[in-house]
Amino acid sequence: MLQNIAIGQYVPGHSFLHRADPRSKLLFIILFATLVFLANNALTYAVLIAFTLYAGLLSRLSLGYILKSLKPVWILIVFTIVLHIFMTKGGTVYFQWGWFTVEERGVQQAIFISFRLGLLVIISSLLTLTTSPIDLTEGLERLLGPFARIGVPVHDIALMMSIAIRFIPTLMEETDKIIKAQTARGANFTSGSLIKRAQNLIPIAIPLFVSAFRRAEDLALAMEARGYRGGVGRTRLHKLAFSWRDAGMAVAGVLLAITIGWWRA
Amino acid sequence: MQITFDQVSHVYGKGTPFERIALHDISFMIPSGSFVGIIGQTGSGKSTLIQHLNGLLLPSAGKITLGDTVITAKQRLPHEQRRDIGLVFQYPEHQLFEETVAKDVAFGPSNFELPEAMVDARVREALEIVGLDYEKVKDRSPFHMSGGQMRRVALAGVLAMQPKVLVLDEPTAGLDPEGRNLILEAIYRIHQEQKLTTLLVTHSMEEAARYADYMLVLAQGKVALQGKPDEVFMQAERLRELAMDVPETVAFVSRLNQMLPDKEGLPNSVYREEELIAHLLERLSVPKEG
Repeated sequence: MLQNIAIGQYVPGHSFLHRADPRSKLLFIILFATLVFLANNALTYAVLIAFTLYAGLLSRLSLGYILKSLKPVWILIVFTIVLHIFMTKGGTVYFQWGWFTVEERGVQQAIFISFRLGLLVIISSLLTLTTSPIDLTEGLERLLGPFARIGVPVHDIALMMSIAIRFIPTLMEETDKIIKAQTARGANFTSGSLIKRAQNLIPIAIPLFVSAFRRAEDLALAMEARGYRGGVGRTRLHKLAFSWRDAGMAVAGVLLAITIGWWRA
Repeated sequence: MQITFDQVSHVYGKGTPFERIALHDISFMIPSGSFVGIIGQTGSGKSTLIQHLNGLLLPSAGKITLGDTVITAKQRLPHEQRRDIGLVFQYPEHQLFEETVAKDVAFGPSNFELPEAMVDARVREALEIVGLDYEKVKDRSPFHMSGGQMRRVALAGVLAMQPKVLVLDEPTAGLDPEGRNLILEAIYRIHQEQKLTTLLVTHSMEEAARYADYMLVLAQGKVALQGKPDEVFMQAERLRELAMDVPETVAFVSRLNQMLPDKEGLPNSVYREEELIAHLLERLSVPKEG
């Protein structure tokens, strides 16, 4: 039931993107997101789309599977398109019906903004598709490292994130199981009035909370039993190290930034 | 209720990199009123198989027949018919949610819109079947009970729907020997009293040997062996290949038979503990007139 969610799902592999350092991937995404917002004409968007396609190829995942990550946001994208087509005015009038018009700027904005959203979602899914959650949080922890000096509990935040990410699939599985168990007892989650359906969530939510608390307690105990006492003095099994791939990404980032800066209107 | 699987396959996550075939061309026929033991290693497809029985999963290919109802990839099981098939999941106590035991057990029957008086009667009956005193437990919170008791409450929650088929996924996992016996004996009792068709998924050959009159051995999503328990246990070699052992009783009989002259061996059909003890006592007692 809940197994078709592609966003955030890590697919193990050995491609260029899989092997690149999570820190450079994170930094690159920040740069890319900035560039997406700077792009403002057909040429710059074409460059960004071509680049994203190339990045998709580098991940060696099937393009169809990557595009599936757009599924959760397509309503948002459609909504944006509709809103811009009808509300943004300027340029040639393509269509008029009373006070209601569709104008050049509106169509243009609709296309640009929907591509902007799509590109952001795809590039960030590429990060989570090719980076294991452990690498991702470690990358974040290292990037945020300097903030620890001013009292930000970077290690604890990173740990909380990795635990949260780690337990998403577990809780999904658990939800799936509880839904099935209650369905087998005749619960019907797909029909009835809105209030009835809301009430139907109780038999799912309560067992889920109970099990989440149980798991949390078990985990805390297990960590303590193995001597966990926060980040102080903790060493790592795998150290992150930059390689030629990261140098490549840095070069690509600089080139992309220059191109966008040069060609934007 | 007669249950037939006709070349049933199930694929998880079709079209993603995580695609996995969980069931592959499964076929078998279970006559109404049987007690079936389903055995297999973790990941052999047992849990996937039983979820097909009340339409929680639909087969990717093939056909399932439950009594007169047919389930295929496109034909779902109607909601009302869910109550004919009582499915008890692994660790069923994890599905408890109500404030009181009585309310929780009543969840199933009330979902099928039975009159209140009837629901009450069923709750009382179901709790008694699993060996809990209705008056004592009805107002208690299920979360304040012991693990074994919680499991019996959850089992009662399924029994209260008065299913015709009872499917249990490792009902004894994680229980102490006493809790195990209580659960299994309760299951066996209602199986006989209400003439249910029962499917018991288990890791334990002993449990299967004790209760089952038909066995399905699954391995890697396929039916590796099926038949009456003695027929299955005879294939000790094949079972060992599948990393499973014959029950202690069967191993004992075959060791004993090796030591006895051919004609005096015990019959292979003796695999239930009580039967074996009876047999041995009969052999060992000295004939009185001799």
